Amino acid sequence: MKVTFPHMGNLWIVIKTILEDLGLEVIVPARPSRQSLDVGVRHSPEFACFPLKLNIGDLVGAIDRGADTVVMAGGIGPCRFGHYAQVEAQVLRDLGYDVDMVVLEPPQGHFSELLAKVRYLTGGQPLWRVWRALRFGFEKLQALDDLDRSLVRARPVEATPGAAAREHRRAVLAVERAGGIRDTRRAAGEGKEAVAAAAASQSVARPRGGVGPPAPPGRSLLRVGLVGEIFMIAEPFANQDMERHLGEMGVEVSRCLYLSDWVRAHLLPGFLAPSRRDRARQIRRAARPYLGHFVGGEGLDSVGEAILFDRQGYDGVVHVAPFTCMPEIVAASLLPEASRDLGLPVLSLFLDEHSGEAGLQTRLEAFVDLLARRRTVRVKDAW
Amino acid sequence: MGLLIKDRLGLREGAVVGLPRALLFYELYPFWRALLESLEFRLVVSGPTSREVIETGTREAADEACFPVKAFYGHVAALRGKVDAIFLPRLVSLKRGTYTCPKMLGLPDMVRHNLGRMPRVIVADFDETKRGRGLTETGLLVARRLGRSAAQARVAVGQALEALRAFRAGLWEGQPFEQAAGERGARAGGPAGSPSSGPGTGGRGRVRVGLVGHAYNLFDSGVNLDLVRKLAGLGCRLISSEQLSEVEVEAESSRLPKEIFWSAGRRILAAVTRFRREESVDGIIHLVSFGCGPDSIVGEIAERETRRTSSLPYLALTVDEHTAEAGLVTRLEAFVDMLERRQAAMGVRVASPRAMASEAAADRSAPLGGVAEGRA
Repeated sequence: MKVTFPHMGNLWIVIKTILEDLGLEVIVPARPSRQSLDVGVRHSPEFACFPLKLNIGDLVGAIDRGADTVVMAGGIGPCRFGHYAQVEAQVLRDLGYDVDMVVLEPPQGHFSELLAKVRYLTGGQPLWRVWRALRFGFEKLQALDDLDRSLVRARPVEATPGAAAREHRRAVLAVERAGGIRDTRRAAGEGKEAVAAAAASQSVARPRGGVGPPAPPGRSLLRVGLVGEIFMIAEPFANQDMERHLGEMGVEVSRCLYLSDWVRAHLLPGFLAPSRRDRARQIRRAARPYLGHFVGGEGLDSVGEAILFDRQGYDGVVHVAPFTCMPEIVAASLLPEASRDLGLPVLSLFLDEHSGEAGLQTRLEAFVDLLARRRTVRVKDAW
Repeated sequence: MGLLIKDRLGLREGAVVGLPRALLFYELYPFWRALLESLEFRLVVSGPTSREVIETGTREAADEACFPVKAFYGHVAALRGKVDAIFLPRLVSLKRGTYTCPKMLGLPDMVRHNLGRMPRVIVADFDETKRGRGLTETGLLVARRLGRSAAQARVAVGQALEALRAFRAGLWEGQPFEQAAGERGARAGGPAGSPSSGPGTGGRGRVRVGLVGHAYNLFDSGVNLDLVRKLAGLGCRLISSEQLSEVEVEAESSRLPKEIFWSAGRRILAAVTRFRREESVDGIIHLVSFGCGPDSIVGEIAERETRRTSSLPYLALTVDEHTAEAGLVTRLEAFVDMLERRQAAMGVRVASPRAMASEAAADRSAPLGGVAEGRA
């Protein structure tokens, strides 16, 4: 059995670790590219959302390299992602690929359905082995998220352009190679230090991209919160490397949600992750004046997190989603109202295979420019 | 949230409550009518979907919203100034294990924030996935919060459920929407009041067409550009996905490797599967709204399975605010023409299944077939 799975940011490292720890042979698809996207677009339903098209591209490439089993996550709705696996299975089948599709999702009938799938994949290994592999994978996930966090802090103030990203890449590979939990922690710790060291010694907020006025000494960086659909946030190819662009404009970007947070919120029982549960309640409460019900996916979170970013004094919020994404269309309908009420600039971006990186960069620059000007005006007002 | 009644003072008996004639109106109208009327409100339903309704909705809704949501905005806007309150039920789930769609879940909030000059709104969450939040329980809650007695509430909900049952039975028999809903003749006025506006087992046409799609597309002649009458005019005998009973939908669904979790999508896929298996139609038309998320998935599964397991022609017809009448007619004519030619060819070679299959394959690659199978 040669197993593959679609990409989502650095998650491949985690999934590869788990599956290999269980003794499976893994074929990691090539990182998403223009080529793989073209393949995906050609074979996917025209009006499907963007991540599905990327998935198809990833899977076709991996199957061509010998994979015979696909591991996918599923869902119970109402977001379309819950039915991705069925469509992908049909598309692959019609392309003449004979692959096994193992969908891990909340069981419709009994819990034993899920267990049976795990047994099938692992060849009947004892559950404690599975647990150990998951534990190891989760450690890597946390390490990778920590590295990403230190990168967005370092990038806007790095001494030499690209230095922080270089250290980050090196650290990610070290985490990928780590053979155990202790190794993972060491790699992450060293990596974080190296990334932080790439930042300029004095944290002078001087936007490198030349956008916005150079900040006077002692002024803090512009801070932007990133909200939206989880795949688009986590996958730099899909969001056109938005974090890098913003960072290079001298903006500190905070993601509302890292994958390890998502795992804590959705996959761990509540008593094991009380902080995430509180967070979820906070988000719901913040969103309530605008949106009083969950709408699937991350729609409710996008509204709530944007408002929470405002309360933490962020300068603005970027909202990113795949074109035609249903939950995020609800969010995009309500964010302008929240934005007006709070005086919080919000930029909603719906991206798909037709979005160009240059166009996106222009829009981000204009947005950052606006944020910088607002600060100047506010300072003047204060005088 | 459960229930939100903005400024509920003044909603006395006899107050005028507006109901937008759009989206899930077409699945639950008799329920709302019986409920609100037996609570002694005066119910006003927005008029048929017109050009103006669509234009207003397109202007007011987010650019990314799908066509039916835009139409819904237009219907709500048309009610402003004419009613004391607008009823905006939040239909989360009409059956355990299923959802409507994300946009339905956010719709009441989207509408009341995006549209200006709104009167009072009554928002209530109907959610069969949660205990005590279903049609019955939330119906009772609405009645109580609007100041009615427990006894009145029970009577009202009882009548509403009975009306819904009769409506569904009517649809199952193939009655057009107005007849099944018990609309009194011309009351609604215009094309929506005429009996041919919904797909029924109408016509003694030459070809049998299975018409599948969301109820709000099939029944709203303003949205579907009078598709039903056009098909009947071309000599089609129609059977629609709305004619499957709940039991039939569930029976088809349970055969799938994974059941569809959108209630409308479940019905659409069940109808396609059933029409195909029973060979009860000569072709299938799936009416899709531009930008419909669930149908982009369900339609793909239905279409691919149909092509793989049968030679049944399948037309995915996309409509939106820009769809032109002439283009639609050309597409329908081409499709129906192809169905007729197939029928004629099959009649000759009925003895040999293999010949039928190759004929079908030839037909699909014929220029006419090519045109018909494109998207509108």
